[in-house]
Amino acid sequence: MSTTCSQRQTPTRHLGAKRANTLKAERRPSIMSNVLRPYLAAVRSTLTAALTLENFSSQVVERHNKPEIEAGGSKEVLLNPLIISRNENERVLIEPSVNSIRLSIKIKQADEIERILCHKFTRFMMQRAENFIVLRRKPVQGYDISFLITNTHSETMLKHKIVDFIIQFMEEVDKEISEMKLSLNARARTVAESYLTAFNA
Amino acid sequence: MILLEPHNFIIHTTLHEKILKPSSLDVQFVDFDGVRFHITTPERKTVILLSMHIKCWDELVRYGALEVLQREYGALLLPQPEAEYNVSLQIDLEQVPGDAESREAFVMSTALFKRNALAAPFESAFRTQKQLEASGGQGELMEIHYRDEEAIYVQAANDRVTVIFSTVFKEETDRIFGKVFLQEFVDARRLPTIQNAPQVLYSARDPPLEIRHLPDLRQSEDIGYVTFVLFPRHFQAPATASATISHIQLFRDYLHYHIKCSKAYMHSRMRHRVAEFQKVLNRAKTEVVASEKKTVSGRTLVSR
Amino acid sequence: MSTLAPIICDNGTGYSKVGFAGNSDPSFVFPTAIATRGSTSQGSRAGPAVPAKPGHLASKRGVEDLDFFIGDEALANAKTPGYGVHYPIRHGMIDNWDHMERYWEQTIFKYLRAEPEDHYFLLTEPPLNAPENREQTAEIFFESFNIKGLYIAVQAVLALAASWTSHRVSDRTLTGTVIDSGDGVTHVIPCADGYVIGSAIKHIPIAGRDISQFVLNLMRERGEMSTVPPEDQLRVASKVKENFSYVCQDIVKEFRKYDTEPYKYFERYDGEHTVTGRKYSLDVGYERFLAPEIFFNPEIYSSDFLTPLPEIVDDVIQQSPIDVRRGLYKNIVLSGGSTMFQHFGNRLKRDLKQLVDRRLDASVLASGSVLKSSGVEVDVISHKRQRYAVWFGGSLLASLPEFYTSCHTKAQYDEIGPSICRRYQIFGSAT
Repeated sequence: MSTTCSQRQTPTRHLGAKRANTLKAERRPSIMSNVLRPYLAAVRSTLTAALTLENFSSQVVERHNKPEIEAGGSKEVLLNPLIISRNENERVLIEPSVNSIRLSIKIKQADEIERILCHKFTRFMMQRAENFIVLRRKPVQGYDISFLITNTHSETMLKHKIVDFIIQFMEEVDKEISEMKLSLNARARTVAESYLTAFNA
Repeated sequence: MILLEPHNFIIHTTLHEKILKPSSLDVQFVDFDGVRFHITTPERKTVILLSMHIKCWDELVRYGALEVLQREYGALLLPQPEAEYNVSLQIDLEQVPGDAESREAFVMSTALFKRNALAAPFESAFRTQKQLEASGGQGELMEIHYRDEEAIYVQAANDRVTVIFSTVFKEETDRIFGKVFLQEFVDARRLPTIQNAPQVLYSARDPPLEIRHLPDLRQSEDIGYVTFVLFPRHFQAPATASATISHIQLFRDYLHYHIKCSKAYMHSRMRHRVAEFQKVLNRAKTEVVASEKKTVSGRTLVSR
Repeated sequence: MSTLAPIICDNGTGYSKVGFAGNSDPSFVFPTAIATRGSTSQGSRAGPAVPAKPGHLASKRGVEDLDFFIGDEALANAKTPGYGVHYPIRHGMIDNWDHMERYWEQTIFKYLRAEPEDHYFLLTEPPLNAPENREQTAEIFFESFNIKGLYIAVQAVLALAASWTSHRVSDRTLTGTVIDSGDGVTHVIPCADGYVIGSAIKHIPIAGRDISQFVLNLMRERGEMSTVPPEDQLRVASKVKENFSYVCQDIVKEFRKYDTEPYKYFERYDGEHTVTGRKYSLDVGYERFLAPEIFFNPEIYSSDFLTPLPEIVDDVIQQSPIDVRRGLYKNIVLSGGSTMFQHFGNRLKRDLKQLVDRRLDASVLASGSVLKSSGVEVDVISHKRQRYAVWFGGSLLASLPEFYTSCHTKAQYDEIGPSICRRYQIFGSAT
């Protein structure tokens, strides 16, 4: 618990990533991870620290333990939420509580196409939330995708591997979306070319 | 399959089958753009009646569809179409040419029934263009409301024929994907190999100049206009003209087909990616040692 | 535009039946096979459509995933180098969604030539299909194809609906036992008021393929097959099965009939070598009635499966809730190509009736002849549309006006999401 407390003093961290860098990174995935690294490192250490969950008996009814962050029944078991933000379009909200933690991600969406692709992808994934155990079926308002990790999860699964999963997800989701965008463009070009070429025949 | 075929597959296969082995049938089916077909053998097994219902039939007749069909099918065309349908063909299977090649040609021309009906306004525009070459000026603006909310506009000028499609996207995703595709249609002409293709213009929302005066145009976010400018080289030779007509008719279906294919492709990608993520998460799971707990009396304890 | 006929898609393990509602036969029946670029050995997970390594961009052309064939064309292209044939449906369930999505794509655009945005769709699912599968199907049809509305029906229920065409059926009920025998497997499925009684379903590992194999074995033993080229033998056997077989009432009598008057009962089959064109002809004898007999006496073919079909049907009905059993005995419906044998229904009815009567007699005896049952009515319905009964049932239901109100529409899907397909509404039944 002490680690979580220490972060209360700095609720929001702004990382000075420049927009120019992000644009360049879109084309070159290998560079992107370098640019992203401080952001991801911040999320990783915060999340690791926040993942100190315990089996907390319900204060209302015996043996009716609920993830307190979702139930929101009593204030004293909730900790201060914090936002890690890379720029106005990319941020992570971490809401810890005594027995559960909710992590919401806002994924970068530069234009209309990325917005729709991101929406499609996150919805597709949340549709399969059953398999993803820690994934929430609906995102928290203002974010694209949310995870809910409870003490049961941290007891049955390896904590650092859960963190790895979330970091890897953040790393690859951007890449996937920009790749999807590129392939859509490539496809559109081929389709247009083949249609127009047929006029020559 | 990248390009769509102009002929109707069901007519094609049914006719081939029935020529070999006549039997009674009564089938209804469709083609793109809400065209309905009905194929029956009302009297004898060897006489097939093929009827078509097409939404914009009245407009097509005005632009000379009957003449085109008369030319293509001659005596097959019935003077009085079947009830509820616009036009009917009567095919006597015993009269079908015997040798394989001309039989295939005959079947194929029947399978192009819809294409031929829709060809009329284009043919008429190509003719008008020829007449205007000397005199100048513009031909009549032909409107074909082939779908509920979408239409094709064809107009001839002294050096070109302009074909305008209005397209409506019902869904947000389609609209955005459609925009990407249409932008590429506009840009594709820069490639040296397809410089000869018709010029394509695209405008979202605002109708192009040629049709701006029409009263019943809807203005909304989801509507777009695609203009094809056909030059005489696309329709001077009869063979090219007919290929151009077959091809341009299917533009809307082609576009929507590919938007759907892209979405299917995105689904494949996402399935793959989600499976990858699943693997990463599975690494976090620990092997649960299933040790059976028993009470003194030998009963098993089941924990949740 | 709701005047356009709904599209009925019955995708089975072996064959897909697709067409428009209101017709009596599907417009297309072709194998549920897809030939894609890339070898078959490539795992279905990675799929040829997706770059294998993350980070590796899709190839520049970007439309490789459109390079594929389905149905008969897929099998025709099986030998073409670079193509591999896949069967996206296994045991009635969709196994590879990537392939299935593309299979549907081409079915709709190339074969049916329909704009899916203008149509309602009726799809079929096997009994005990997982609701997740239904959701994934809805996701594909609503998101990729933007269809107007979707109805997913259970195959057995459609087979029941198809039997309404038989003149022997007076009330349009959705209670009954369906015997669905295709190429791979035979199911016996009890339905009560349109809902499948999942716990009582039974499978029989004998179906069309086994019957053909059995015919082949019989003819080989008699030496008839010696003139037939080996690669054609199975095909010839299945032709013999389709054209000459029937179900007899008594094997012993039938054997005697054939032995006394062989010329009256033996048939000749004429064939032609597919490559050389050499003609051959063979005698078709006892296999005419022995082939379908393996349903009633499985021991003549298999050594591990020994329960006759009538007994299985009886078991299934006895395992169903007691209050629907009469309905299940009264309305036994046949569906699928392997139930097409002449007199199949009569024989099944007779054997089943014997089983039921024997049990009733036993219970009368056990009660000391005090309580007497009024008897149980047993009836097996055969009808003309048996071969594509599932598809036909779909066509029938989708042409009812209630169909449109029972469908899940695009608007509902957008509002609620794929989970709407977990619920489904029975309609069309008169009761």
